[in-house]
Amino acid sequence: MLDTLLPILIFTALALAVIGAVRRIRLWRQGRPSRVNLLQGLMALPRRYLVDLHHVVGRDKMISNTHVATAGGFVAAAVLMTLVHGLGIAKPLLGGLLLLASTSMFVGSLFVARRRLNPPARLSKGPWMRLPKSLMAFSVGVFLITLPTVGLLPEGLLEGGSSWLLALVLAGVVAWGLGEMFFGMTWGGPMKHAFAGALHLAFHRRAERFSTKKGGTGRSTGLKALNLEDEAAPLGVEKPADFTWNQLLGFDACVQCGRCEAVCPAFAAGQPLNPKKLIQDMVVGFAGGSDAGYTGSPYPGKPVGEHQGAPNTPIVAPVVMKEGKALVDAETLWSCTTCRACVEECPMMIEHVDAIVDMRRHLTLERGKTPNKGAEVLDNLIATDNPGGFDPGSRLNWAADLNLPLMADLKQVDVLLWLGDGAFDMRNQRTLRALVKVLRAAEVDFAALGAEERDSGDVARRLGDEATFQTLAKRNIATLDQYRFLQIVTCDPHSFHVLGNEYGELGGHYQVRHHSTFIAELYEAGRLTFAPWKGGSVTYHDPCYLGRYNGEYEAPRRVLKALGIQVAEMERSGFRSRCCGGGGGAPITDIPGERRIPDMRMNDVQQSGAELVAVGCPQCTAMLEGVVDASAEVRDIAELVADALVERPADDVSGVSRRTVAATTAEEVAL
Amino acid sequence: MQPEQQQKQQKQGIDVTVLVSIGRHPITGRARRAEQDARGLELALAMEAELPGSRINVLHAGSQDVDSEVALRSYLGMATGVGMGLESMTLLEQPDGSDAILPLVEHLAATSPQLVITGARAERGEGSGLLPYALAEHLGWPLVNSLASIEKVENGVVTLLQALPRGQRRRLKVRLPAIISVDEAAPAARQSAFGPARRATFSVSPTASDADSELAQWHLSPARKRPKRLKIIKSASARDRFKAAASKAEGKGGQVLTDVTPEQGAEAIYKLLKEEDVLR
Amino acid sequence: MSEIIRRDPRREWIARNRLHPDHASVLAEIGGVQVASEWLGPNGVVRKNPRAIGFIGPSGVKRIDRSGLQQGGQATATTTAARESRRTVTIDQPAFLVAVVPDLTGGRLSNHDKDLLGLARRVADADVEQPGAVVAILFGEHKGEGDGELKKQALGEAGIDRVVHLDDELYAGFAPEARLAVLSAVEREMTPRFWLLPDSPLGGADLGRRLALRLGERAATGVWQIEADDEAPLGWQCTARGAAGSLDIQRPLPRVALALAECAEPVDETRHAAEPLSLVDEIPTILSRIEDLGQVAVDPAGVALAEAEFILSGGNGVKQWDAFHHAAKVLGATEGASRVAVDDGFMARDRQVGATGTWVTARVYMAVGISGAIQHLQGIQRCDKVVAINLDPGCDIIKRADLAVIGDSTQILAALVAMVEQQRGGQRDAA
Repeated sequence: MLDTLLPILIFTALALAVIGAVRRIRLWRQGRPSRVNLLQGLMALPRRYLVDLHHVVGRDKMISNTHVATAGGFVAAAVLMTLVHGLGIAKPLLGGLLLLASTSMFVGSLFVARRRLNPPARLSKGPWMRLPKSLMAFSVGVFLITLPTVGLLPEGLLEGGSSWLLALVLAGVVAWGLGEMFFGMTWGGPMKHAFAGALHLAFHRRAERFSTKKGGTGRSTGLKALNLEDEAAPLGVEKPADFTWNQLLGFDACVQCGRCEAVCPAFAAGQPLNPKKLIQDMVVGFAGGSDAGYTGSPYPGKPVGEHQGAPNTPIVAPVVMKEGKALVDAETLWSCTTCRACVEECPMMIEHVDAIVDMRRHLTLERGKTPNKGAEVLDNLIATDNPGGFDPGSRLNWAADLNLPLMADLKQVDVLLWLGDGAFDMRNQRTLRALVKVLRAAEVDFAALGAEERDSGDVARRLGDEATFQTLAKRNIATLDQYRFLQIVTCDPHSFHVLGNEYGELGGHYQVRHHSTFIAELYEAGRLTFAPWKGGSVTYHDPCYLGRYNGEYEAPRRVLKALGIQVAEMERSGFRSRCCGGGGGAPITDIPGERRIPDMRMNDVQQSGAELVAVGCPQCTAMLEGVVDASAEVRDIAELVADALVERPADDVSGVSRRTVAATTAEEVAL
Repeated sequence: MQPEQQQKQQKQGIDVTVLVSIGRHPITGRARRAEQDARGLELALAMEAELPGSRINVLHAGSQDVDSEVALRSYLGMATGVGMGLESMTLLEQPDGSDAILPLVEHLAATSPQLVITGARAERGEGSGLLPYALAEHLGWPLVNSLASIEKVENGVVTLLQALPRGQRRRLKVRLPAIISVDEAAPAARQSAFGPARRATFSVSPTASDADSELAQWHLSPARKRPKRLKIIKSASARDRFKAAASKAEGKGGQVLTDVTPEQGAEAIYKLLKEEDVLR
Repeated sequence: MSEIIRRDPRREWIARNRLHPDHASVLAEIGGVQVASEWLGPNGVVRKNPRAIGFIGPSGVKRIDRSGLQQGGQATATTTAARESRRTVTIDQPAFLVAVVPDLTGGRLSNHDKDLLGLARRVADADVEQPGAVVAILFGEHKGEGDGELKKQALGEAGIDRVVHLDDELYAGFAPEARLAVLSAVEREMTPRFWLLPDSPLGGADLGRRLALRLGERAATGVWQIEADDEAPLGWQCTARGAAGSLDIQRPLPRVALALAECAEPVDETRHAAEPLSLVDEIPTILSRIEDLGQVAVDPAGVALAEAEFILSGGNGVKQWDAFHHAAKVLGATEGASRVAVDDGFMARDRQVGATGTWVTARVYMAVGISGAIQHLQGIQRCDKVVAINLDPGCDIIKRADLAVIGDSTQILAALVAMVEQQRGGQRDAA
């Protein structure tokens, strides 16, 4: 009897799965078009899955192995089962493999079950709690029905009239398993992640994110430009259907593992943002409905079940509605610091930050609703080219006594020193002075743009004002085009990122280096000599825009090592570094939470036992120094280097005259 | 008045014309929406939200070029909802340096709005702040300056709050049609959004214009810094003058009072507050 | 004692000869205890010894104080007398009139009014032979200092020759139409050569522009400097601020001018008659289309920080916020806060002062319990005077402060509040 029942079951499940898949695909297709090379994407899928995705999953060995056993077992079992039981190709070899696969899956599902015994807060509950049981049902069911095929049980065992009951029970178990695994996969069950996730990997909007066989960098962090020439194109995302179809697909791939939630600084600070919930809300949005079915942690301070959306209704309510709410509240979107910790952690390679900025773009460009100081900052950027509204001519005031070389005079140098808007900030001016001292000590041929420099557009872009970003960027590119230089060096990771990764799309291609990288290179080239470190213990805070955005974790540590500093690492450092709270315009939009992000980061510093925290970003410096009663001093790497500079020992005669020149200039700088 | 009747009255709404000019950023001198005019438009938009059915017409007299168009569009970018009536603006085209008063008077007389809102003074050109008064005089309408908010409009009478120094307010009732002028005391203008600004259109009508010949004869130059007035103690002794100058120099360093009783400290502060004339 | 001054030529000669060995002692004899630097010479002319005057300044350089105070008591008496004696000026037959409409804020001539009257005097007194008279048109009650004659004296000392005073309910509050009718009547009856008004919002700025349009004059606004110019139609050239303060416009002074504060020095050497005048004709009553419903109570704490001229700002060191709020209320100050106070939830976010909050431009910024983080100091860069109350004499705000009081902020604020309240009470009694 099972011989007839099983194919029916399997093919019904498959057919339903196909119907579900078509429905799901139609949901995704509500999104705007996006050019993706479908075939190439599908071809690259195995590598993206096995290498890139598992690189992320593999950070947790336990889960990684669990997933290999379960998913690998399931995929093999599903294929073999369709062959063996569906098509009746009852070869003992296939049957044996099927037994192996289902065993592997069963073992995996035991670990899944163990994890679900006492799940951490970041995991979603609800349907996910039954998943281990479904996995077990499937694997056990398949195992049992396969036993006769291999001949381990007599063929007729389940045939006899007496075993009807047994057969029915078995069929039921298999049906449960099939229902979860096949039907649920495309109709919105927890297994949806496998189907959507696979396609998401294949059709990812940042194909360049993934490594290639040739050893590509696998980093793509720059935001994508809006086409402002096309007046018909929507400015950002107003409603779920305004996302591109592969973004919608990406949202659907979410496994609700909550790793993003665990690392999100805004969530930890009690601000109303939870990246996982946000992605789930987007799924609710394009599928239509309310968020009542969500079973994970809510946005802090916002109960679940009050928000609803549909593919073609605004995500953020246009006016504050008295009753009911739209899909997401604006303050959720403005809580994000764009630190990319969620993206870095996401095993499904979902692009949270892109989605948030897309929605911010609509709020700023169409509604003019940038909260708090946002509007003022944007107005300043438009009118004065810097967010503080300072006289653009005063950008070099801090260097009045330094006699900084200017590009306008030199036209051609090795290094263009990009000052960034920190040039207007008294604290950052100390860093800049230190950096100039270091460059002079190393006899670097450098010059600054001075008053010709403008804000890089970073803040405008993160606040969603793509128009102002592009204006600033184009004007900066036009300025830079007038001069010849080998590379740009800046002490502002935000400028670094924007100049290096986001100007390219607008026609500006530059070799950009963060000052820590450049100093490391200078040191390694023997152009700098340091006095040994005499201070106490030091830790290093990785700026998001240097680390996660640009993968530069090592150079600052090399510099610190060169200074003779043993870095006492914080628990969260490197790619897991916790944001200082200063990115993405978060200090400007200033969404209240229960705690402040920099306070939490300063606690991390304290726990490392360091007396000094080295940073490499003006934003981080400002945020961390703003912590009251901080246990550690905040110094920029450039300052530490400048303090440790010593005159190089005379090694050759030709160097002597140059050195004296350098020494005097360095002294002048020190004054 | 019966509540229903009142509501009906309210529903009618009124025609509002907002006069806007091309502003000038105080630091960089770039064209922008003028601060006060934008506040005026903000006032009109706030009123429209209270009084549905009101129609806002944005009016500018001047030349049309690339710079000014961006500035003018930024007014229209304040329409951040559908049907706010800022899809287009009326542009009375005239060459730079022309007298804008007569074309504006003619236009206002022809379109007869019930309320005209304008910034107190322009950020470019003479910027004398005479224009609202000229319009009021020519049209024979009452004018209220330094407006803080519009409270309500009913039966052709508008109730307004006028801003007084130090945040004080005065309530006024004015019979329509009227002109109100707005300065820094009015609520700050909302953000101007790129999208609506880009979509907005202009309805341009060329006007006969007379060059402002008087203005052309004056000598205009960037503002010099005004000399800071010294505390001159005239007719008193040189010693007093010397002391005044010396104490000023002393003040630069800052006086630090340590080990004083709270009363002594308070007295020193009180003296300074009195000197600076901030206690009223 | 005899009135006859007996002279000793020898002593006088020694006094003149600074090389004489007895020079110093003789000088001391003449001048009493101190070395005399001034004495009556042989011809009854005052002689001075420039070398005997002066003192060694703090930097070791000799400084000369020419006030004469050094020489002793009697000189002080004369200067004090000179200070108090103002020349009385009466202009009976003025060649022309300069009309001034002071704001009379709160019933008193404001500093702006006094500056403007100084300007009016400059215009009126340009030709000494044919001086013009300054006629002030005052609306509302004039409180002045004291009563009757004293009040009149206050006006006279500000440089007013004639006063047209209209103290009627009709002109109280916001009554531009009624006031304009008066000014029109003055124009008809007296035809002043110039109309000068303060360019102050809600005062002369409004009324002056109305008047200019009524008279058909193109007023000069924002005038801050005038100079005589024979080529100008009315004999004066003026410099006026234009384009939101970014331009200086030089143009002939028109009949109606609205001047900024500090446009001229206030009158301080003369006292004028301030004779009351009244208008002959009945002022036509006009039906006003503007009705003043009176002032509305507003919370001073609601004033925008960026515009506030007096800010009381609290930080981490403020322990009793109720007392702080009370102090702000009594002082009439706008409340501000440091970032920490805002983060800790004691103050609203829009009250934050500093680079990351609001950049303030207050005349007086009073920082209570604020240590002065660099961002905070940046935000108060443009404040005129900074007062700091803090427990820690070493913190950064003390370096910035013009006046710093080290001590417990709660007690000091309480004492200050008590002092202000007491003064207020006293003033009210006097008035």
